[in-house]
Amino acid sequence: MARILSVWCPNWPITTWRRRNPGGKLADTGPLRACGAPPPGGEEDGRSPSSPSGGGGCVASGGGKSDRDLPFALLISEHGTRRLAAVDEKARALALSPGQKAADALALVPDLVTADHDPAADRAALEALSDWCVRFSPAVAIDGHDGLFLDITGTDHLWGGEAAMLGDLLARLARWGVPARAAIADTAGAAWGLARFGTHGGDDLAIAPPGQQRAAIQDLPVAALRLEDAAEAQLPRLGLHRVGQLLALPRAQLAKRFGLSTTLRLDQALGQAAEALTFRRPATPWFDRLAFFEPISAPEDLARVAGDALALICARLEAEGRGAKRFEVVFHRLDGKAYPVRAGLARIGRDAKRLTRLIVPKLDKVDPGFGVEVVTVHAGAVEPLAAAQDRLDAESGTSLDETLAPLIDRLVNRLGENRVWRADPYQSHVPERSQVRVAPLDPPAATGWDPARPRPVRLFKRPEAITALAKVPDDPPIQFTWRGRSHRVRRAEGPERIGQEWWRAGVGETDTGPGRIRDYYRVEDDAGGRFWIFRQGLFGTEDAPKWWIHGLFG
Amino acid sequence: MELTMAGSREARLAALRGRIAAIEAGTRTPTPVLPFGDPAIDGCFPGGGLPLGGWHEVTGAGLEDETGAAPAAFVGLLLRPLVKTGAIVWVARRSDLFAPGLFGLGFPAERLIQVRTRDEAETLSVLEDALSTQGVAAAVGEAEAPDLTAGRRLQLACEKRGGFGVLLHRRPYGGRAGKGGAVSGSASFSRWRIGPAPSPPPPDDIGLGPPRWRVELERCRGGRPGGWILQAQEAGHGPHPFRLVSQLADHDVAAAESWRKAG
Repeated sequence: MARILSVWCPNWPITTWRRRNPGGKLADTGPLRACGAPPPGGEEDGRSPSSPSGGGGCVASGGGKSDRDLPFALLISEHGTRRLAAVDEKARALALSPGQKAADALALVPDLVTADHDPAADRAALEALSDWCVRFSPAVAIDGHDGLFLDITGTDHLWGGEAAMLGDLLARLARWGVPARAAIADTAGAAWGLARFGTHGGDDLAIAPPGQQRAAIQDLPVAALRLEDAAEAQLPRLGLHRVGQLLALPRAQLAKRFGLSTTLRLDQALGQAAEALTFRRPATPWFDRLAFFEPISAPEDLARVAGDALALICARLEAEGRGAKRFEVVFHRLDGKAYPVRAGLARIGRDAKRLTRLIVPKLDKVDPGFGVEVVTVHAGAVEPLAAAQDRLDAESGTSLDETLAPLIDRLVNRLGENRVWRADPYQSHVPERSQVRVAPLDPPAATGWDPARPRPVRLFKRPEAITALAKVPDDPPIQFTWRGRSHRVRRAEGPERIGQEWWRAGVGETDTGPGRIRDYYRVEDDAGGRFWIFRQGLFGTEDAPKWWIHGLFG
Repeated sequence: MELTMAGSREARLAALRGRIAAIEAGTRTPTPVLPFGDPAIDGCFPGGGLPLGGWHEVTGAGLEDETGAAPAAFVGLLLRPLVKTGAIVWVARRSDLFAPGLFGLGFPAERLIQVRTRDEAETLSVLEDALSTQGVAAAVGEAEAPDLTAGRRLQLACEKRGGFGVLLHRRPYGGRAGKGGAVSGSASFSRWRIGPAPSPPPPDDIGLGPPRWRVELERCRGGRPGGWILQAQEAGHGPHPFRLVSQLADHDVAAAESWRKAG
């Protein structure tokens, strides 16, 4: 069973607004300033703070007063009406609530300070937060508008237990001015409910021990089950307030009365039904972490710890007879920014030294700022390696690939994946589509190209127009001019008729017609130069045929 | 290849002793070469063929200077015997090299790794990296004009693993003529100029015969220049990819020179 950590950031729009406007009138000068930049991502960069006084006739707050003491709300326009999207604690205490009309709210609380709500920025901040959470586990999923799920299976031991991990997470968020609640359980459903509705009287409640989610959630309100709105509204009217009461009811009637989704949510919370979480990175047990007492920032230290972290994960891979194709080393800065550095291998491997050599040249992109406190590393595409390793001692043929792999890795990591390739045959008559690019070390294709259809050594991306003179229609030209130079054709071979693949999308209307058909000729000029030219269109139609050059045989 | 592959300490020591003995005897250990299979051509090279641990410059004649088609076909054929020993890496900024075309010349495309670079310097550094890698039998780079330092580095990379390097001079489309023609790296072992040559009539006089090239060896360290008409040899007909058709006389070469200038 997996262990899922659910994080909930209550009042996320207000939180992010405050963090986006640290110097603004509502700035919280406490821990937020002390920590320097806000944790995840640089939301403050480039995003101009939204105007504190919203439109729609809202009362702009006077500059002189300390606005921190005033109630605050974010506004959103809905069908031409300004409504409150989120309110802070003071406004809530004055009985304002999201969804209220802005005009009503201002009538009730004339000194309400407002600003525009920016859902896109909230989302971006949540995504940044999920990237930051990589320090706890590589598998982080965004949950709704204000929450995250972390699959922490097998990573909590790096903190010395789930409670310590939970404490570390919440303490860090609190330091950055992000009030949050979190819980751990076997299922996403139970963790979700506990994070939002758990009493949190003691730490033990926030963590449901393995297999104990039934006991953990039965005292929670039914809303903790993530039910549909209709069911959630109806259940309390029938006197069903607690999850425990639902558990006691016969399932069939429950499903009949409130829909299958209700029983599904129950099952998901209890772990009897699977729930798919969309992780931004795949969940993997191949995760490791190095934490430092003293933050590091010197480039040589970064290189060394990258090597150490890779050695950790590679040792584990080796112990289990596995290798991986993708590695990611993430440098977590003191102020919460994370810099991932990735390396890919052409063949699965676990040689920490080689990986370090691939990673180190990319470290110049890592800005250590005030220092890096944690380095995490995770391996992707993990496969058994034993079979591949056997071939090292075999005779050349197969082992060639093993010696080539480091070169391919270097080139791919330096130039990019799409710049290093091997051409493989592809079943298509259209010349430019008759080859596909594959990874250089992929197993070779079973078939080759058709030797009966000669192809040029150089193929132009776009055919170039030529002017040609042909003696007889449907004959190869006797003379043509290409790039201002005239060529007299000595010999010719053809035609090879190639039709456009009309069933493919993207074949334009204009470059085809009855002239969708191309008649290709191989011609040789006086000097021996060999050209691949084709005629598009037929004689006798209203458009005269056009001649093109598509390649050179050399 | 054998020298570098020998892993054991004893084998390395034995190889070293052999080299010392050869130096003391006043001779050089014969380096592995790539012969053309015809004494008229192989006689031009000191080792009886193109040495493997070195690099060679290939330019195109006339228009080929820009398109690089005939040189590419020539190089593809030239490397055909080497494919058995390892991969061929082809580095270029443009991606107009068409693998089915090389395949048509008998070159097994499954051993061809193509690399597309962003600029000239990257081309040269990838070429150098590939040449110094074990398992790469040959590497071809399409570049404009490397300087002397780049040439030296290429030479060292070739010697490291016995790789065969080819620098295919290619002027960018619309680029200034003449620049690519300048002799650049004196570190290269040889310098070639390749152009197409009219093909013979096929037996049934229909279509095109086997392709021919006008091959000029302009410079060769420790050897002598020469000029030939070479014809492609089908892969089944022996180990060598070319068949010598005729020797170019001196006046032929000179005539070609003037034609090139006119063009």
